[in-house]
Amino acid sequence: MTTRIILFVLLSFSWLVAQAPTGTEIINRVTEIMSPENSYSTGTQTIITSSGKERVFEFESWAAEKGKSTLTRYTKPAAIRGQAFLMLNNADDIWSYFPRTKRVRKLASHAKKQKMQGSDFTYEDMGGGDVFQTKFKSTLLAEETRDGELVWKVELLGITEQDPPYPKIILWARQSDYFPIALDYYDDNGFNSKSLLLSDIQMIEDYPTAMAMVMTDNNERSSTTMRTLEVTYAWEPPEGFFSERNLKK
Amino acid sequence: MKIWGIILVLPCLLWAQPEFYGYFESEADILQLGSERYSFGYNKFRLDVEARPNDNILIGASLNAQQYWGKTNWNIFDFIPNKQDMVMYYYLPDTLLLDNVYMKISFPLIDVTLGRQQISPGVAYAWNPTDIFNHKTLMDPSYEQPGVDVIRLDLPLGDRSTAISIIEPGDDIESSTMQLVLKGGLGSFDFGITVVKQYAPTNETPILGDPYIEERDLVGGSVIGELFGWGVWTEIAHSTLNTTYFPPWSSIAYPLPRDPFTEYILGLDHTFDNSFYLLAEFLHNEDGKKDISDLTLTDYLASLGGGTHSLMQDYAFLYAMHPTFDYVSLSALVIANFNDNSGTFAPQLEWNVFQNTNISLQSSLFWGDDDTEFGLQDWGLRLRVRSDF
Repeated sequence: MTTRIILFVLLSFSWLVAQAPTGTEIINRVTEIMSPENSYSTGTQTIITSSGKERVFEFESWAAEKGKSTLTRYTKPAAIRGQAFLMLNNADDIWSYFPRTKRVRKLASHAKKQKMQGSDFTYEDMGGGDVFQTKFKSTLLAEETRDGELVWKVELLGITEQDPPYPKIILWARQSDYFPIALDYYDDNGFNSKSLLLSDIQMIEDYPTAMAMVMTDNNERSSTTMRTLEVTYAWEPPEGFFSERNLKK
Repeated sequence: MKIWGIILVLPCLLWAQPEFYGYFESEADILQLGSERYSFGYNKFRLDVEARPNDNILIGASLNAQQYWGKTNWNIFDFIPNKQDMVMYYYLPDTLLLDNVYMKISFPLIDVTLGRQQISPGVAYAWNPTDIFNHKTLMDPSYEQPGVDVIRLDLPLGDRSTAISIIEPGDDIESSTMQLVLKGGLGSFDFGITVVKQYAPTNETPILGDPYIEERDLVGGSVIGELFGWGVWTEIAHSTLNTTYFPPWSSIAYPLPRDPFTEYILGLDHTFDNSFYLLAEFLHNEDGKKDISDLTLTDYLASLGGGTHSLMQDYAFLYAMHPTFDYVSLSALVIANFNDNSGTFAPQLEWNVFQNTNISLQSSLFWGDDDTEFGLQDWGLRLRVRSDF
């Protein structure tokens, strides 16, 4: 009897696996829907520290080539107004512009590990493109229900030679449209150092779009909410838009 | 002239629905200099105005109002070893200054910026050998620089290549200063090539109070990029100076011979996984003296007045910063003069106390013998409050 049950469970599991897409297929779909060709958006970034202090930033952001090229310019608060960051080649090349000194400077790629204006997002977290596809190996762990949605739970293990931003990420993507609703980031010690929740998902010009993203730093007990105020995927970058010339405008 | 400039520019700015921003900054300092302790500081109000009448035009202006307090009358010789018995006072008057006033016109193929504007050539942090327009303060190298009256042309040659021409007009073409920069990129590196022809009449050194003309031909370059995960850069300049002295007792101009010299910077930086940031630069300046016994009064005055990038030849600059607490960062800088074995160590606390408001406290501890560049001073304390709007 026991043997039959084990056999039944094994057969059921293999049937389930046969029906479910692989981790790689899920991540390919996630990358596809998360990477519209071009975009323009405005948003706010609200940082709440562990002691409850709040700072609010506003920014404009442009992206092209499925997130491979991005330009972000802060519009508020006054202290950093006009600061801009140009990231090309999936943030492998970064230039910063500081209006107070009118200086454009190329930053080494370690800068992408810095916190964006002290927030819980790094510049690398904001980079789009095909990072999940090229820097991680994906494995489907399970099917689950999360926040009332059927989701795929996928493990992404960093490929060391590709310099992944994190050694491991666990991602939950909706089965209905493959849109990710949560990510847990792990550090070298295997600790879940940061968690990202995506919510208020709206269909904007055929792309599901998270209007709110909350990143929580589980070490520092701080959180940052990125709220999209305006977004369009119909924006077309003029020639030479992602350049030093435009960074200074 | 400045008043007329303001009268003409301000109505245009108001018509173009300008944006106003700026900051108020207050600083209090204490400096222990031998047996004397001085207190001084300033209150500064800066108003920046920008207007964009259309997508192709940017008009900007900056107004600085700065009021000094405490000790405002400084004897320059207090900062020159073994010359404290001499007296030459430098007074810091309260100022109301139109620091920038410019218009940037963006044509499809070129940007033209006319007027007084901030120029920031070079890739290095503490010193910029290719910068002939600014003199950085080593204790605060990233502080904004005053505007320069120039015509600037930026000609994009591709996404990562630009040709820049900066012209500071003189009375005629021969007495104008021109800088040409060609910037480009390859892989994870950016490159720059610089050629300068500078014409600088001055009443300052080498002989106090008497006029002289300095012509400089400079050829330089820079590279910035990444090696083994570290940011790396170098900036180099080779200068040939032709100095002509006009003594008041003669109608004959005397050439003052000076050897050509090379300056270069080697720099690197890195942000570690725990957000600790480290920056280091090394400066070699052949224009400086290698031995303390070779220093002359002229060398000190040229260095204090910003005529040279450094007093002596070999220096290191180190900066380390860590965002230790919520909106509080701890940092320290070290400046070392390898030729006279003097230097300074300056730890700093910076607190973003409210949104747009920062308080910083920096102390400076100097080392070296009393006749050295930094050893002349003992210690200093600086408290700065700044609120942006």
